[in-house]
Amino acid sequence: MSFVLNRLGQTVLVLLVAAFVSFALFRYVGDPVNNMVGQAASLADRNAIRTALGLDDPVIVQFGRFLWNAVHGDFGISYRFSQPVSRLVMERFPATLELSLVAMLIATAIGIPLGVWSALHRGSWMAQFLLTASLVGVALPTFLIGIVLILVFSVWLGWLPSFGRGQVISIGGWTTGLLTWSGLKALVLPSVTLGVFQLTLIMRMARAEMLEIMRSDFIRFAKARGLRPRTIEYGHGLRNALVPVVTIVGLQFGNVFAFSIIVETVFQWPGLGLLVIQAIQFADVPLLAAYLVLIALCFAVINLFVDILYASIDPRVRAAGMEQGAT
Amino acid sequence: MSAMGDAPGDLRAGKPARWWDGDLAYRFGRSPLAVISALVTLLLLAVAFGADVVAPYDAFNPATANVIDARLPPGSTGISGDTYLLGTDPQGRDMLSAMIYGLRTSLVVGLSSVALAAVSGVLLGLIAGYFGGIVDALIMRIADVQLSFPAILIALLIDGITRTLLDRATHEHLAIPILIAAIAASFWVQYARTVRSLVLVERGREYVLAAKVTGVSTPRILLSHILPNVLGPVLVLATINLALAILTEATLSFLGVGIPSTQPSLGSMIRIGNEFIFSGDWWISALPGLVLIALSLSVNLFGDWLRDALNPKLGS
Repeated sequence: MSFVLNRLGQTVLVLLVAAFVSFALFRYVGDPVNNMVGQAASLADRNAIRTALGLDDPVIVQFGRFLWNAVHGDFGISYRFSQPVSRLVMERFPATLELSLVAMLIATAIGIPLGVWSALHRGSWMAQFLLTASLVGVALPTFLIGIVLILVFSVWLGWLPSFGRGQVISIGGWTTGLLTWSGLKALVLPSVTLGVFQLTLIMRMARAEMLEIMRSDFIRFAKARGLRPRTIEYGHGLRNALVPVVTIVGLQFGNVFAFSIIVETVFQWPGLGLLVIQAIQFADVPLLAAYLVLIALCFAVINLFVDILYASIDPRVRAAGMEQGAT
Repeated sequence: MSAMGDAPGDLRAGKPARWWDGDLAYRFGRSPLAVISALVTLLLLAVAFGADVVAPYDAFNPATANVIDARLPPGSTGISGDTYLLGTDPQGRDMLSAMIYGLRTSLVVGLSSVALAAVSGVLLGLIAGYFGGIVDALIMRIADVQLSFPAILIALLIDGITRTLLDRATHEHLAIPILIAAIAASFWVQYARTVRSLVLVERGREYVLAAKVTGVSTPRILLSHILPNVLGPVLVLATINLALAILTEATLSFLGVGIPSTQPSLGSMIRIGNEFIFSGDWWISALPGLVLIALSLSVNLFGDWLRDALNPKLGS
């Protein structure tokens, strides 16, 4: 329990730091008033707005107000889009989530079978080839994979669209491209691009775990019992090898989220990543501040969840956590 | 170097007494992959740092660029009678020259950010491991938190935030130092953690106790007694990180956040070329892309080999 409290405290601290950085950005980069009113506004008008916004209050009061607003999802108005930041984020969020989920699905659905297969057929030329290919895959930058895919499948072959989400359907405010043909076609290249790196990672992980398991005593015992190889490999081996692999898949989700920034830029995918790149390029501070808080929240939640999960599975982690807390 | 001789060798299995001699050179000769990747890396390094001699044209001199010659395919001859072996970019610059200078920028950023990350990470790791207590707890807690965020995201946000803090002209001026600092800030954690864990073991050894008893000052114990004994893994980490740092630079420049498009770097060249893919001008982004892959792949493979060679436990 103290472990959970410790982690929870750490999470809250990280969130507060992220919130303070984004507050400082929001408050001190440029003059918020200048960014809201036109050139023609008089000094009296400016002061009126300044007082109305509470910019004359002590910093701690302003930070408190910023936090209060952030908790209520209010991050102010985007300088560039002149729309509430929260609405922009909510509009873009489904696109990023769909892209990340489909990429992860592709990586898992292909990576695990390939990894297991190459572990079971170790030494065959195909397994060697897969291993080498996965080494190369790690060295390939994501954006270059995207460009090559566009060049081949959009420019030369003309099979798939190279930008945008295609036609989307809105279901209660959640836009999805999964239900239309053009939406699905538009999803192929970005999700493959995003999935390649994860695929190589999952494949190597699955291979290593499977090799490890197939060497263990209970597999040898199962062989001695004369069970069919297929039963041993899939019923006993795979089942045990999958646990750590699934954990990695969960852990990698944060990374996929981060790399979606790159993929969204290459494919002009209208998600959060593209939004934040534009925010950086146009110094759209409210948007950047909101993204900072949001991404910190996402990672904090993922990490907290994984940590607690680990601790509940493995008592050693709990003990180590207490030891660390004591020093 | 003489300071390294002071420390009695560590003869545990899996860690040669001195990591740079022993059978490392022999293993290197026996691994074609290691030789090839080392040769490619050296070749690219030589070309990049000999850019002023090797490059056919000066990529920074606007006089050699001719807009009429823009986007010529590889092997064409321009209006001035110059031959462009690998074609020209949208500003009429010779692709080959721009790539060589771009490679130099990428390597400079990669090498300096790795150096900065390694130095700061190693120092923090030494301090955390040797002194322990609250300093250790503080440094490692920050490291833990940072490790839970992807490195590229941290570099992107640091670079992006400084970009909003500075006005455009100042930022353009400082783009490269800022980028180096941003990448270094996203990579220091691994060094600090590795060094700390090694120092925790080393600080209890006899040679450290002997140095303490004879009144050697703490900075000297850290830097000339303990440091040489923990450098092996740092070197491996730095090699593998170099590939990552180069890819991070290219990715950030591609996103339009890192190096401004006025200065050629592999990433910014790919970014520019990307806009012309649909007109069929593939070479503007494909060629720098190939160089980038060759560089990251060879550095990566060499780093992998080095790790396995220095750690026989993993090799077998």
